[in-house]
Amino acid sequence: MTPEPIPVRSVSMLECRNCGAGSPVDKHFCQQCSRILALSRQGDYFSFLGLPRRLGVDSQDLERRFLDLSRKFHPDYFYNAPPAERLASLERSSYLNDAYRTLKNPSARIEYLLAVEGLPSVASDEGGVQVPPALLEEVFALNEELDEIRELRESGGETDALRSRLDAARTPIERKRDEHERVIRELGDRWDGEAGSPSGDRLATLTALREQLLERKYIDNLLATIDREAAGLGVS
Amino acid sequence: MSKVVGIDLGTTNSLVACVKDGAPFVIRDASGDALVPSTVFIGGDGAVIVGREAQRRLLTASASTVYSVKRFMGQGIEDVHEDASLLPFGIGGDPGGVVRLSVAGQEFTPPEISAFVLRELKRRAEEYFREQGEFDFEIDRAVITVPAYFNDAQRTATRDAGRLAGLEVLRIINEPTAAALAYGMAERDRGTIAVYDFGGGTFDVSILRVEDGVFQVLSTNGDTHLGGDDIDALLTAEVRREIAGAALEDGNAEMIQVIRKAAIQAKWDLSSEEETELCVEPVVGIPEGYRRRITRADFERMIVPLVERTLGPCRQALTDAGLGPKDIEEVVLVGGSTRIPLVRRLVHELFDRKPHSDLNPDEVVALGAAVQADILVSGRREMLLLDVTPLSLGIETMGGVMSKIILRNSTIPASGREMFTSFADNQTAVDVHVLQGERELVADCRSLARFRLRGIPPMPAGMPRIEVHFQIDANGILSVSAKELRTAIEQTIEVKPSYGLTDEEVERMLIESFEHAETDVEARLLIEARNEAETVIHATEKSLRRPDFDQLVAETFEPGERERIGQALSEAKLALGGADRDLMLQKTEALNKATRQLAEVVMNRSVREALAGKNVRDV
Repeated sequence: MTPEPIPVRSVSMLECRNCGAGSPVDKHFCQQCSRILALSRQGDYFSFLGLPRRLGVDSQDLERRFLDLSRKFHPDYFYNAPPAERLASLERSSYLNDAYRTLKNPSARIEYLLAVEGLPSVASDEGGVQVPPALLEEVFALNEELDEIRELRESGGETDALRSRLDAARTPIERKRDEHERVIRELGDRWDGEAGSPSGDRLATLTALREQLLERKYIDNLLATIDREAAGLGVS
Repeated sequence: MSKVVGIDLGTTNSLVACVKDGAPFVIRDASGDALVPSTVFIGGDGAVIVGREAQRRLLTASASTVYSVKRFMGQGIEDVHEDASLLPFGIGGDPGGVVRLSVAGQEFTPPEISAFVLRELKRRAEEYFREQGEFDFEIDRAVITVPAYFNDAQRTATRDAGRLAGLEVLRIINEPTAAALAYGMAERDRGTIAVYDFGGGTFDVSILRVEDGVFQVLSTNGDTHLGGDDIDALLTAEVRREIAGAALEDGNAEMIQVIRKAAIQAKWDLSSEEETELCVEPVVGIPEGYRRRITRADFERMIVPLVERTLGPCRQALTDAGLGPKDIEEVVLVGGSTRIPLVRRLVHELFDRKPHSDLNPDEVVALGAAVQADILVSGRREMLLLDVTPLSLGIETMGGVMSKIILRNSTIPASGREMFTSFADNQTAVDVHVLQGERELVADCRSLARFRLRGIPPMPAGMPRIEVHFQIDANGILSVSAKELRTAIEQTIEVKPSYGLTDEEVERMLIESFEHAETDVEARLLIEARNEAETVIHATEKSLRRPDFDQLVAETFEPGERERIGQALSEAKLALGGADRDLMLQKTEALNKATRQLAEVVMNRSVREALAGKNVRDV
């Protein structure tokens, strides 16, 4: 008689606290006893929602998945359940809400992908301090123009004229922003198309995406600066 | 099972509602009145009167009667100076602590006063069910509504009030969302709706998407100190000025109440009439009384700045939902103040759509709360509320800046975590200051609580990795934990203090309230004994009715056992009809004992039947 094999559970499995059965981490309910499973530290927003790790997301499909899962584990439906299941429902619902909010927003989605792929976060980068090399020319021109406008304003320059100069200063920056939007979309498509490619290629795509996000953040700050100047001119 | 109810705990009026056979309805008194004024009279002997009768005493015993207590829930004394100056009762408390109201020579916290109102609603509902001939009329669980824009301290205070009233608070839900739920139930609607809720003391607006029974709140905004109360106060102040100016500077409490009553009546009249007479009855200080004509146009000129204050939050809610006024398919009006024609006109203009008011604006919130209570206890899944947190939550970081961890309008439950570190070498403790609000600076945000994470081993500055974890539950109530990851030192608190009651205070108040109401306790114990007796009797009768009962007797019973069970059953039923708790418990226990073997046999049979025909491997 051969001894019973000792079951080996990989880290991608969750143990059901009720019956002890193992389930893959992207399953929400025990496959054996159908109780809600405690939230694992493994997995990510994409797998939680049953989505591949892609940047192209159909927003209607995303919403449908969100509502379906909400209906499965909202705390309203676990009011009379044992404490462990209530906690699991609270944690799964919170995670679901966070996942939906993040993946719904295209920028947040990219930043999240970068994070789960192990790249440093865009927010942590001191992006506001150093001028990205690709923007040097525009930043230089803008700063000069803003200095002049400030001087003119202080010496009582005509508001309408200053306002139209500010508008003119916006145009090249906005053009840059549009360009970045386009590149970010292209890189996103490339990432989605590279699913089976060597990891080096994929990393290069992500690094380029991160670069673009940092630059776009810088551009957004520039636009905000122009807005503040415009607000300083008062209402025309 | 005891009953569950939905409660709209309002600034001016409160209501209780219930679901029967899938349909919600409000519970009325014998005269058909559903509104219980949220007014509480406290007599010198400790007697408490709530509702219409208390409202009448406002005129004769002003110093012993409180109203609009909702405005003080979860507030500190520094928050309420403005309100305090409008109200005739004494308001005190230590700076940085909970507000205390002095009534009839005693001090009460706002949750204690609210608990009196809740107890009255509970009593009213129990009386209703008793009259309906319901055997099990006790109410110990409720869903209570709060303004959507209530902060954490205000929500927690409401939950404390529920506990003090002897209610398990199943859920705290937002008033506009409750209204949408009731409204959606009635209309079977889908689409994007705005709920404009202008009540006695608070204003809320919520934008929702309704689809396939899911009520998803997209955004919410409001003002927890803006309501019909403010309109009354404005009109009262105006009349006082007109009557005599300086002579009335420090008018007595009775006089203020008499003028206020006249002002409220005029406000009501002007919702249907173009002109009315405002009549102040003679009272000490105004021996002749006072009369004046007032037109709707006069009234509107006076209140338009107040009503316009509701429009900013509406626009902000639209922006936060990423929508424009044109995207809103329905506008629903809730709250008594939406009866004012000016309010309807301004809302109509803002959304460019005639607002809906088919359901009674006073009742719709309580109906929605009852629906939610029913969902919670019945496990019905055809409807689901997905609400949001109205205000951002975060903690204080270096330089007095608020660092947000959960953003406003996040769907709840929600969680968030952020990493922090120390700023001095060998720092062994960090203070975590929990804040709520939208502003950048700590000084401009609401302080919810402070706690200290201790026991961090000495390390160079910047080395500790302190993870602060926020969890908002489905009630919108926050708990915070902090953990130093290198050592796994952890501390969890439910955010309470600053302007709330501690658990010990709630416990103490509960004990005190029971001391005052020993009969309440006895009644409760009797009900519990009854429930238990009923359960055992029911189970026994069910077994006796089994078609195979005779066969069971023949196979497994000892002689005389059948008779013993019959005897025990009829004795238990007799005891159930009486009011002797000890006898009831004793006979229930006897029946339990007599039927133990029967229960076992029946259970085994059931299991065998259930498994019959199934493969052992499936089991």
